[in-house]
Amino acid sequence: MRYLRLIVHFARASFQEEATYQANFYIGLLHSLLNLATGVLGVMVLFGQIETVNGWNLTATLALLGVYLVVSALRSLFLGPSLEALAGMDGEVWTGQFDFTLLRPVDTQFLASFRKWHPFALFDLVLGLGVLGVAVTQLSQTLTATHLVAFLVTLMAGVTILYAILLAFAGLVFWSPGILFTWVFDGIFQMARYPLGLYPGWLRLVLTWVVPVGVITTVPAQALTGVVSVEALAGSAGLAAALLIGASALFRFGLRRYASASS
Amino acid sequence: MNHRGGLALIKATWASWLQHRGFFFILAFGWMIPPLIYLLVWSTAAGGKTLGGLNRGEFVAYYLVLILVNQLTYSQTNWTVGDLIRYGQMNRLLVRPLSPLYDALSSEVAGKVVYMMFDVPIVVALALILRPELHVTPRNALTFIPSLGLAWMLRFFWGYWIALLAFWATRADALLAVQDALIFLLAGQVAPVALLPAGLRSVAIVLPFRYMVGFPVEVLTGQLDTSGLWTGFALQAGWLVIALTLSVIVWRVGVKRYSAVGG
Repeated sequence: MRYLRLIVHFARASFQEEATYQANFYIGLLHSLLNLATGVLGVMVLFGQIETVNGWNLTATLALLGVYLVVSALRSLFLGPSLEALAGMDGEVWTGQFDFTLLRPVDTQFLASFRKWHPFALFDLVLGLGVLGVAVTQLSQTLTATHLVAFLVTLMAGVTILYAILLAFAGLVFWSPGILFTWVFDGIFQMARYPLGLYPGWLRLVLTWVVPVGVITTVPAQALTGVVSVEALAGSAGLAAALLIGASALFRFGLRRYASASS
Repeated sequence: MNHRGGLALIKATWASWLQHRGFFFILAFGWMIPPLIYLLVWSTAAGGKTLGGLNRGEFVAYYLVLILVNQLTYSQTNWTVGDLIRYGQMNRLLVRPLSPLYDALSSEVAGKVVYMMFDVPIVVALALILRPELHVTPRNALTFIPSLGLAWMLRFFWGYWIALLAFWATRADALLAVQDALIFLLAGQVAPVALLPAGLRSVAIVLPFRYMVGFPVEVLTGQLDTSGLWTGFALQAGWLVIALTLSVIVWRVGVKRYSAVGG
């Protein structure tokens, strides 16, 4: 409960901070709409030329794009801003400002993951849910409760996997504070815009097992459009749990290397 | 104009960027991913068939050339010029006995060299794995070079006049983000322009964005007939004249307003 109350306070403080810059609001609006337009048009252009690719049609791919937009929105809502504050040349680890995070009387991993919010991302969340909604109305079969449950479970697993990967990258910052891990990850994460089935076999394996960004969007989209096996469901939940444990361990291990900055 | 000083500046910037090549390689990796995604998606979609007149190998060739052309014509200077103006660092450039254009030009040249050191080996490796089909005729090769040069100049000066709007508006770089989105959609990244839906295709042919990236790629991969080639060059040259004129006007008027904030 205490942690929930803290989250509310963090979110409120971030909102007040962000509301100060009104011009940024309109620019953010523009960015979000452009992101939506390029994503949707990209899918439409592809399926203007072809009906289905490896079992993926326009509706299923649109649903996947919706999942991608929702997950990205959740990322920029709090995971991204909080964890990215650690990395880079002006990041907290490099400058030694991480001292103030360590000294607070709450769990460090919790604080590092939830302290900064970007409330504007709620708008992106609405857009993503909109794309998902449109895709669902186009589905040929009716949506059952089983579908919805499977979708929610796999979506939760997807967000957890994303969090674990970002946390692991944040942990690596303690070894190499200046490196642009987020830039590298952004590049790889973009591949989750399209279903795994649209990539060649070797890359499918990489995006499932090495950097599992493919699982984040493909499995929930499959669950929603009605072609997910029990194995895939259990597999993605298991993977999420394993990655979360591994990433937390890496983060805590990295934490011990932190030696502040010389003044 | 002090050209000797300009050359010295170009050499110095080049040497300094090579020192930090690891950083720039990571940036180049991030820029390579979007065209790479569309390379994989379109070549998987084509499979053993042809889509819009292109087969799998031709898609691979198109996008491999596009990765190089996109990086060669990309002007990251456009993003930094605005910062120079906002933070008052333009002072340093204005007091030099050199045209400030040389500063932009020097990072352009340095950037191309460093990014190509990363891109060329990767494109060669991808070509060995993905087996592109590229039949270069002497006509295509000869016309490719001027089209690439004009594309770079057009993309540079088009971005430059937009970036110089920072003399008036603090967040002019939002317009650069719009430009990037339009390039993504209309310059042949999301799909070769010939494959866009009819309405979007006519818009793409008239607007300047195709002539910044897609046009040289179409020239080299032999997608254009003679009339398409010459109308393309005419439109490219026309837009370049407009971009140059706007750059000169915006610079002349804007620099008078410049008051060196925080300098």
